Amino acid sequence: MADLEIRDLHVCTDGHEILRGVDLSVSRGQIHALMGPNGSGKSTLASTLMGHPAYEITQGSISFMGEDITSAEPHERAKAGLFLAFQYPVAIPGVSVANFLRMAINAKREEPIGVKEFRAQLAHAVDLLDVDRSFTSRHLNDGFSGGEKKRAEILQMAMLLPDVAVLDETDSGLDIDALRTVAEGVQRLHDEQGLGVLIITHYQRILHHVKPDFVHILLDGRIVLEGGVEVVERLEREGYDRIRQEFGAGEAGAVAAGDPGA
Amino acid sequence: MPEAPRARIPRPATDNGAAGGRAGGAEAAGPDGVQVKPGGHREATLYSALAGAGAGDGRSLAELRAQALRAYESLELPVWRRSGFWTTSLQKLELGSLRREPDAAPALPEIVERTLPARPRAGRIVQSANAIVQLELDPDLRERGVILCSLKDAFREHPDLVAPWYSKRLTVDRHKLEAANAAFWSAGAFLYVPPEVVVSDPFEVVYAIDARGIAQYGRTLVLGGQASEFRLHEYDLGEDFEGQALHAGAVEVYLQDGARCRFAQVQDWGAGEVFDVSTRLVDVGRDAYCHWLPALLGGHLVRQHLELAVSEPGGEMAFRGLFFTEELEHLDVFAVDLHETGPSEGDVHWRGAATGQSRASFEGLIQINPGAQRTHTYLQIHSMMLSPKARVDAIPSVLVSADDVSASHGGTVGELDEAAIFYMQSRGLDRPAAVRVIVEGFFEPLIAELEDEPLQELVRGKIARKLAAAREDIEAYATSR
Repeated sequence: MADLEIRDLHVCTDGHEILRGVDLSVSRGQIHALMGPNGSGKSTLASTLMGHPAYEITQGSISFMGEDITSAEPHERAKAGLFLAFQYPVAIPGVSVANFLRMAINAKREEPIGVKEFRAQLAHAVDLLDVDRSFTSRHLNDGFSGGEKKRAEILQMAMLLPDVAVLDETDSGLDIDALRTVAEGVQRLHDEQGLGVLIITHYQRILHHVKPDFVHILLDGRIVLEGGVEVVERLEREGYDRIRQEFGAGEAGAVAAGDPGA
Repeated sequence: MPEAPRARIPRPATDNGAAGGRAGGAEAAGPDGVQVKPGGHREATLYSALAGAGAGDGRSLAELRAQALRAYESLELPVWRRSGFWTTSLQKLELGSLRREPDAAPALPEIVERTLPARPRAGRIVQSANAIVQLELDPDLRERGVILCSLKDAFREHPDLVAPWYSKRLTVDRHKLEAANAAFWSAGAFLYVPPEVVVSDPFEVVYAIDARGIAQYGRTLVLGGQASEFRLHEYDLGEDFEGQALHAGAVEVYLQDGARCRFAQVQDWGAGEVFDVSTRLVDVGRDAYCHWLPALLGGHLVRQHLELAVSEPGGEMAFRGLFFTEELEHLDVFAVDLHETGPSEGDVHWRGAATGQSRASFEGLIQINPGAQRTHTYLQIHSMMLSPKARVDAIPSVLVSADDVSASHGGTVGELDEAAIFYMQSRGLDRPAAVRVIVEGFFEPLIAELEDEPLQELVRGKIARKLAAAREDIEAYATSR
């Protein structure tokens, strides 16, 4: 069984069915890319994995590290080792990045983290993300630029050391330098810590910096195409429209190649 | 937005007129500048600045007490009303059943030891009920001319220093409880910081009520000499008891040329049925500065008239405040940013939250008197509702009688941000922890301005405890939306 196992997931929000039977498996040490056009259900999947209350699971299940987390609270999922990097990180006025990180780390521990240990971890993460040290004393996401918010997401990921991280359109709104920094950070956490990653993206460009082992195409709430990096190349050549014509809405989720999660 | 100048001339500071002149209930500006209007069944006092209409005009303390006593005897318990918004009525106060005599052998109340941070301090004076139970002053400061003692002793030992300032800008008869304070105070606190004396540790002035049935009259007079610098921490603390008690307080702080004062107040009267009706006034002299931050954190029914007046050119002030009401508490704050002369700078920033079925009402008035040219001031009030039955009203108002000024106000009313809660949950914080982070973050800009670690910890701790107590209420509110 994979570390993150999504089975036949159906999800509704505001009375509309957005996900219509998604199967996906992500384990530690793997990098997956989930691609799809706007409205295909990518962000719904990301929010549902983290337990957002606005999304109702009507069928199917999610398990993580062997536990069924289909109806677990978001903080329980986080403590179990799941991480979501938000597409639109939320400002937390009045709380510094460093203080927030300390709270989040302590939420996962019995004993509060020691000052020295925390400082050392923070210094390491700050280097990894190539941000100024003063960054950590600013209020979290409050007045941050788009790029700073995304760096702050990866900084949190580097500090919290999850087993599996879902990156929801982390590449959107980033200039090329920021994109490279963020992507290198993700790659290093994968290489050094064995992080499992699910990169959710509309575009291919982040995949030039982080090499996925498995690629999945989401269309109208179903995964219609799966494979290795060749799927990205095909998408670059043909675009979503061709794929939509081939595996159009209403079709059962056709699997073109392999079963990556198994 | 700056408003067009209006014709409203404040009265001169010295003329106080006859006692209780408005008690008959005619609709008119009373001789002391206070307006009343006839209500359906009862008069209500309108919200207006003291604007210098003090009672102290050279008369003796005995004469002022006599004037106050006449007013006390002729007035009924006060009601404040903002039509359509709130009514603050003291009618349920059983004043006749409260005692104002000092206890036979007063001791330092436990609530004081429990609450005040252990820290270096310049001095401390504690009034429990109506007796001073602790008085300390750094001997070195005493050597340099600093005075800290009861106001009663100050009248005896330093009459020439005290008399000209006593009640200089405070009235003694606008309402029954103000009159009671002026007539009956028996201990009080007096602090004098001589010119050029700079003190970094705080002076602590404490009023404590540790049992039901007490009517406490607090009277504080603070004089900051030219170019002096000091911190003033006032604590108003009540033990958790059942039954009624009253604190009627009057605080006046006069900062002379170039004086700088950071004045913080932590008020928490506990779970008892404590009524607090107080007036606090800070007068900022020429080129003087005051940072004033009351933290109003509990009381059954609390009415605060807080007035920060820039009385000489070059005066500058930062008027901050925070409040947190819970359960059935009722809070009524009238905060005045008064500019009597220009150039002057003002900056008013308040934040408040409410849980349970509590009620918090805030009226913030910017008043710029005629001739107070080149005054710049801004008032902002932010509030957060944490329960379906809690209510916060905030009314900013601007009264400008000069034309070369800028005066503006703004504010927000908020609820808990569910997106922020989910974000924090996704990082491993449970829901109550996330709510706490949001509320603390909401108050943090003001708490940070206390610039005093022990005080900051005290205020943060009190807010955290209130949130923990209201946890179910907050949860129910979130799921109902």
